[in-house]
Amino acid sequence: MVAETWSKQVQTGSLNFDDQGVDLKRRRGRALEQFEQHGFPGRKHEEWRYTPLSRLAAGPCAPLLERSQEIAFCPDLPVDMLAKVVIVNGEFRADLSDLSRLPSAIRVQSLAQLRHSDPDQLASLLDLYWTQDSHPFYDLSDALLDDGVHIEVVEEGAKIDAPIHILHVLDGQARSGSAHVTGLIQLAAGAQLQLIEEIRSAGEVLGNLRWGIGLDPRSILKRVRAFRPECSSIFHGTRVIQQQDSRFEDLFCSSGAELIRNELHVSHEGTGCHCDLMGAYAGCGKDHLDHHTTIDHKVEDCTSNEIYRGVLSGQARGVFSGMIHVHQDAQRTDAKQSNDTILLSEGAEADTRPRLEIYADDVKCTHGATIGELDEDAIFYLRSRGVSPDEARKILVRAFTSEVFHGLEDRQLSDFIADEIQQSINPDGTNHE
Amino acid sequence: MSGKKENSMLEIHGLCASVEGTEILRGIDLEVKAGEVHAIMGPNGSGKSTLANVLAGREEYLVDAGTVQYNGIDLLELSADERACEGIFLAFQYPVSIPGISNAYFLRSALNAIRRYRDESEIDAVDFLELVRSRMDLVGMDEKLLHRAVNDGFSGGEKKRNEILQMAVLDPNLAILDETDSGLDIDALRIVAEGVNKLRKKERAIIVVTHYQRLLDYIVPDHVHVLSEGKIVRSGDKSLALELEKEGYSWIQADDARAGNNA
Ligand SMILES: Nc1ncnc2c1ncn2[C@@H]1O[C@H](COP(=O)(O)OP(=O)(O)OP(=O)(O)O)[C@@H](O)[C@H]1O
Ligand SMILES: [Mg+2]
Repeated sequence: MVAETWSKQVQTGSLNFDDQGVDLKRRRGRALEQFEQHGFPGRKHEEWRYTPLSRLAAGPCAPLLERSQEIAFCPDLPVDMLAKVVIVNGEFRADLSDLSRLPSAIRVQSLAQLRHSDPDQLASLLDLYWTQDSHPFYDLSDALLDDGVHIEVVEEGAKIDAPIHILHVLDGQARSGSAHVTGLIQLAAGAQLQLIEEIRSAGEVLGNLRWGIGLDPRSILKRVRAFRPECSSIFHGTRVIQQQDSRFEDLFCSSGAELIRNELHVSHEGTGCHCDLMGAYAGCGKDHLDHHTTIDHKVEDCTSNEIYRGVLSGQARGVFSGMIHVHQDAQRTDAKQSNDTILLSEGAEADTRPRLEIYADDVKCTHGATIGELDEDAIFYLRSRGVSPDEARKILVRAFTSEVFHGLEDRQLSDFIADEIQQSINPDGTNHE
Repeated sequence: MSGKKENSMLEIHGLCASVEGTEILRGIDLEVKAGEVHAIMGPNGSGKSTLANVLAGREEYLVDAGTVQYNGIDLLELSADERACEGIFLAFQYPVSIPGISNAYFLRSALNAIRRYRDESEIDAVDFLELVRSRMDLVGMDEKLLHRAVNDGFSGGEKKRNEILQMAVLDPNLAILDETDSGLDIDALRIVAEGVNKLRKKERAIIVVTHYQRLLDYIVPDHVHVLSEGKIVRSGDKSLALELEKEGYSWIQADDARAGNNA
């Protein structure tokens, strides 16, 4: 059952949409039904056991965030960008975005535009990524489907060097609420694209963001997610479908959020695919940082490399649940996974669950998890060189997490991320404020 | 203040220290003046590294008694990082490796921490690199090591050179070199020792802990002390080191025993 506030909001919200396509209507209807029935799952639900949704379920963020307001902040990354997509409170803002330098090989439009112009195509894309099994956040996204962004590299072999910056602004200063954003990305064969996604928020908000990504043969998508949403709740879900010899390189960096749930599902449908799933996260106070990844190795000769590293202070909690599913035909799969956590305080807690399901016999799978503390000898070494204990701990946290984004070619960007993470660490392990 | 006091940089009196309940230093007296080089020798386990670590401010070592004055201030009141900022430097017997942080980042953080402490402005990346390069020549270190993670995968000799590079960049008043010679091959020993010699100056004091006369052929000490069972049992000039090299420590310990019996 779902709390009344949510039920009312989602129902009225959902009924507001005057969809043209029957398939889209069907999706909306089914999602609404499912959400009505199941709402936010409690701790008894295996997939949600460690994720505290009760505060969210109580409803302060149930109303949709207000649209069409002036925004107080719109930060820039210290990186050269090809284009900028700004989504404010769930709405694609053409006035704040900059698409003027996009080459013809790439098309970017708002999801609302696609919803009006070709609802059937939208519905079939959604069907591709989200099967509509009951899922509270995907159901909300479907029931309240409105806007977002649709990015297509249409020209085969197009290499787009500079990244596209996607900025979500969630402004709940005037009134708390939620925003639901759907993004779709399609890369033509041999195409290459880089994305940097950022979330900034103020006030109490729920950002419910999801991406469906399709990678045609030999295409390469590099994505960096740099999240510092402060005191909000974020659900961020990604479904990736990879065709033959394609690459997906994902780097997830987050610091400081009341609740983040990062769900990532990568499916290797063609041979010779590779994915890098990297994550670095830092939590303090009562932050909850939750990572659920699944890699489906369906066919032979695919590889995956996953490293998630977290640093937790205060009473922060980190969860990592990583599933590697090697199907029967996926011979010669090579899958690596590790999750390492450093706890800076007694109150901090980490749960890590590597899960391997292997049905093929000729595979290499390695996984490991560690939970530890900062090396006291290294702290003394730094202090003996004049560095204060707090700074020494920050430097060691930087050292620990930076291995995750070692591969980033853009030094400015990797320094920026390292700084962000270092900033959000409370070196003495206590809470902020 | 007496004239004598003005001259001595470090004055240790009756220093006793223990670790995990075990007494290790049992009454050390030592005076070091600016410009001097002191060598501390002594058998394994006699407490040389403990003394070095106590001076550097390692908290596991508890000071049970005694005083340490450094340039007229009570050194024992300062934390490890404050001591470093006040100009004390310890070259570790076993340098620590830190994966994930480059040598350059480490050293710049240290230098800037010290500069901030002294109300000086922070050094920028360009000036820093210039400074480090000039100091790397001094210890014959390959620039590649600057961009590798701190001591991570360094050979024994590279680690020791790295310690001296840090000393050369951080420019301390009092440097304590704990077995900087161990692990160095013959050529490296000469290069590092020559580097240290170039860092000798009249405002700076150096304490070298070593087992071998060979190092002292290069870095000629003004005073040599023998530490045994937590006490300085002999002090002399550089000839004491030569005697030890020939005779080992047994004659001192035997001497001690006799002295003890006579008392
Ligand atoms: N952290 C510690 N915990 C327990 N015992 C310690 C610790 N540090 C030193 N000791 C003990 O104190 C004694 C003195 O050690 P120290 O390292 O000072 O000797 P040293 O003179 O430097 O020896 P070496 O020549 O082998 O380097 C040894 O018996 C050692 O085992
Ligand atoms: Mg020693």
